[in-house]
Amino acid sequence: MPRFEKIEYKPIPVSDLMLEMKNLSELMIDLAYSAALFNDKELAEDVIELEARVDTLAYLMDMEIMVAARDAKDAEALIGISTVAAATDKISDAAADIAAIVTRNINIHPLVSEIFEKTEKQLTKATVKEGSLLVGKLIGDLDLAALMGVDIIAIRRNKDWIIDPKDSERIFLNDVLITRGAPQGVKDFKKLAEASLLTTEAQK
Amino acid sequence: MSEQGRFEEIVARMVELKDTSELMIDLAYSALMLNSRELADEVQKLEEYVDKMHTEFELLALTSEFKKEEASGLLGLIQIGVATEQIADAAAEMAEVVLRGVEPHPVLTLAIKEAEETVAQACVSADSPLVNKTLKEARVDEDTGMWVLVIKRGGKSLRPKGDTRIQVGDILVASGYSEGVDDFRKLSSPEETCTIE
Repeated sequence: MPRFEKIEYKPIPVSDLMLEMKNLSELMIDLAYSAALFNDKELAEDVIELEARVDTLAYLMDMEIMVAARDAKDAEALIGISTVAAATDKISDAAADIAAIVTRNINIHPLVSEIFEKTEKQLTKATVKEGSLLVGKLIGDLDLAALMGVDIIAIRRNKDWIIDPKDSERIFLNDVLITRGAPQGVKDFKKLAEASLLTTEAQK
Repeated sequence: MSEQGRFEEIVARMVELKDTSELMIDLAYSALMLNSRELADEVQKLEEYVDKMHTEFELLALTSEFKKEEASGLLGLIQIGVATEQIADAAAEMAEVVLRGVEPHPVLTLAIKEAEETVAQACVSADSPLVNKTLKEARVDEDTGMWVLVIKRGGKSLRPKGDTRIQVGDILVASGYSEGVDDFRKLSSPEETCTIE
């Protein structure tokens, strides 16, 4: 049985809660699909942990909204926020369900990799090899979105996953990077990480 | 249907489900940010489409004659299908906020603008390299990490396809990584000769 902790009320701006719920829910979808695609149990477990975090945020959000409504007009305006917050919670639940397929040892059909090769936004896993341009670089300095249309969503380093690495995170040799983005971009990025591409084609 | 053909059908449906469910989230956030009933309606239409597609996908998976050892793998696929359907539902619920006719709270607009994945719009000026290119040729996603969701042209919104040609004066609504927004705007209007708002 899951254990439910008592969540204490603390004043947190609704905008902060909304922003974090939106960010987490979208990140979780990508991470969950990555866990399924690469059959990675630990990544899947991280997604399930993030789901618990979103649940806490949703609970805090409910409290904030109730405290904020002074009259019927407020209530009407706040219902929109409450609905969108509930939707991000639902999205994170769906992501956790995908992750649970991996943790419960239900096999993912080999077809799944074929499916992911055909989607608009693709996921790829690449190991940073000796000689790669990425070694020692800060994520923020790489400007990956503008150059190749990709984003690093997770890094595996020394058996740990760094989820949603910040711009100040440095890339090391042997890091395993999961990126999401445009099909050509993720392909180029993989080559860049594996040192088979020495300049980015986008550097015109 | 041959076994190979069936596999291909299952793959095609699943790709469509995943892409559509994610597109719906992006469109729902766009609808909220721009307070656009038109985009919110589009999300509702896609929700019906996903429901239909999801049923077809499940029927296809269930009527396939797979070997026993393949059944577990197929169960995984069916569960991913259920998740995409839930994601689509969540997007439709967000779109309903706009359709109720209450202007979305500023907190929502702020959260969408400041999020890691955001929505932005830009107008296409005459000096943009995008002019007269098809969406496929324009490679906006490869160059900026932003995906064009909608083109607003002459007061109408259209959902672009790969062969849709971009024209001067188009307003592009795109979603993607927030780091790409500036590049997206510059690509659309290099000298900032046109701006919205």
